[in-house]
Amino acid sequence: MMVVSLEGLSKSYGSRLAVDDVSFDVGQREVMGLLGPNGSGKTTILRILTGCLSPSAGTVRVAGFDVVQEGRAARRRIGYVPEDAPLYPQMRVNEFLAFMGRLRGLDGKKLQQSVGLARERLGLNDVAETIVGRLSRGYRQRVCLAQALLHEPDLLVLDEPTNGLDPRQIIEFRDLVRGLADQCSIVVTSHILTEIARLADRVAILLGGRLLAVRPVKASTSVRVRVPMDIAPAIVSALRTATEAGAEIVEEPQTDGLACWRVRMAEPEGLSQLVARLGAAGIGVVELSETGTDLEETFLAVTSRKAVH
Amino acid sequence: MTILRALTIKEIRALFVSPIAYAVVAVFLVLNGYSFVMTLVMAKQATLVHIFFQSAMLLVLLVPLITMRQLAEERRGGTLELLMSSPAPEIDIVLAKFAAAMVLLAAMIGLTFSYAVVLGLFGKPDWGPVYSGYLGVLLLAGALVAIGLAISALTSNQIVAAVVSLGVFGFLWSIDSLAALLPAPIDNWFIGLSLMARFTPFALGAMYTSDAGFFVCVILLGLFLAVRALVRR
Repeated sequence: MMVVSLEGLSKSYGSRLAVDDVSFDVGQREVMGLLGPNGSGKTTILRILTGCLSPSAGTVRVAGFDVVQEGRAARRRIGYVPEDAPLYPQMRVNEFLAFMGRLRGLDGKKLQQSVGLARERLGLNDVAETIVGRLSRGYRQRVCLAQALLHEPDLLVLDEPTNGLDPRQIIEFRDLVRGLADQCSIVVTSHILTEIARLADRVAILLGGRLLAVRPVKASTSVRVRVPMDIAPAIVSALRTATEAGAEIVEEPQTDGLACWRVRMAEPEGLSQLVARLGAAGIGVVELSETGTDLEETFLAVTSRKAVH
Repeated sequence: MTILRALTIKEIRALFVSPIAYAVVAVFLVLNGYSFVMTLVMAKQATLVHIFFQSAMLLVLLVPLITMRQLAEERRGGTLELLMSSPAPEIDIVLAKFAAAMVLLAAMIGLTFSYAVVLGLFGKPDWGPVYSGYLGVLLLAGALVAIGLAISALTSNQIVAAVVSLGVFGFLWSIDSLAALLPAPIDNWFIGLSLMARFTPFALGAMYTSDAGFFVCVILLGLFLAVRALVRR
């Protein structure tokens, strides 16, 4: 059964259409990324999904419950981390988590256990009695994520979760979210392609409120290798030896008298390994440049075309 | 009930850690205390009628400071999204805020009962008008809080909420003065909408079901409008 099902979803504010006939599904334990520039309708879709807004047309179901007709039942199955992680600054972390747990119907021992587990999972034990307003941005993001997990939701909704985090916090938060994908489905928005590429299994690309495409995300990166013509015959076998199994090697047109290949690797970190291995094999490379992820290429290709329904 | 209780406790705590609440209570008590002492010393009458009228005027001025932040701040800070995406019904969110504001105002008004105790110890006050006056002040406070909440639900700017609330309260307080310009029976409709006209009998010791019913209706209407303003749009 699909955890999220959007069918013909539209939302208008007066005469302005913010979301236009969007349909997609999210399966169990799947991470779906909503990708698009600012104003593309990502946050509006999330607000409809979480019951904060009602749709103008179409239906949205979460765990089989219509978010309009059976709103409370649907919202019981959702954990939501809004953009900028809004919290009550005067509350202590424990107090805030207990309050949010009670809003989701938890009480007594079950509430204590859930709060303890969420604190443990997100590394909040050290700040349990700290006033929320004094926490760093990274900790506030964790507290907001913790409140969304208290009731073990079927669906976790994250709106621009890494906004404002420093690089270390982004990596930590990404690892946390990837870990959670084993327990629930996740819908995450971002306008940063690399973040979505590292988090999502599939991505829905939005532009101007319209769904342009839904594509699987392959965690890969492409590298362009340019070498002098005289060593060109040896390069293919050398590349196969130097790259990991499964790497895709495609010959590209010659430019400036140099032979050129594109090597697509599953691991983004493969570039540095390739350089080291080619060097060890004694191959002189003129140019070796990262050309971006599959998602970047997909995004550029899709957004250059008109939306299709 | 778990949700409503959790929301109410949270709102009460939020109000009682707010410096605005303490400033409101302090101003209310200092001005009423000053007025009580001066009237007692100069007029030597065991009555609280002037305190009730002054309390009513102070409520018109001070309640916007209590209600302005309640929903506007949630909207501005983004925490309204947390509440709205939880299974909490909108009515519980509004009722909790109403209950918290009423707890604060009831405590504030309750502290002025010490004046009645002083009158009881050193004089022979007529207790009927004292009780009806307190009932009137509480009903008026309820009506003002409900209207203020509805206005606070419409904006994310606290100052806008406070100014608009003050304007609406002032208009409803003195709307009966318009009656002099209007023909019958329209003039009676305006008098009937006046908070002052409805409050005066309570302060003077005359309780009418119609006046109490008016305040209850205003409270219900205000809460209804606040819920409607919150309902997912």
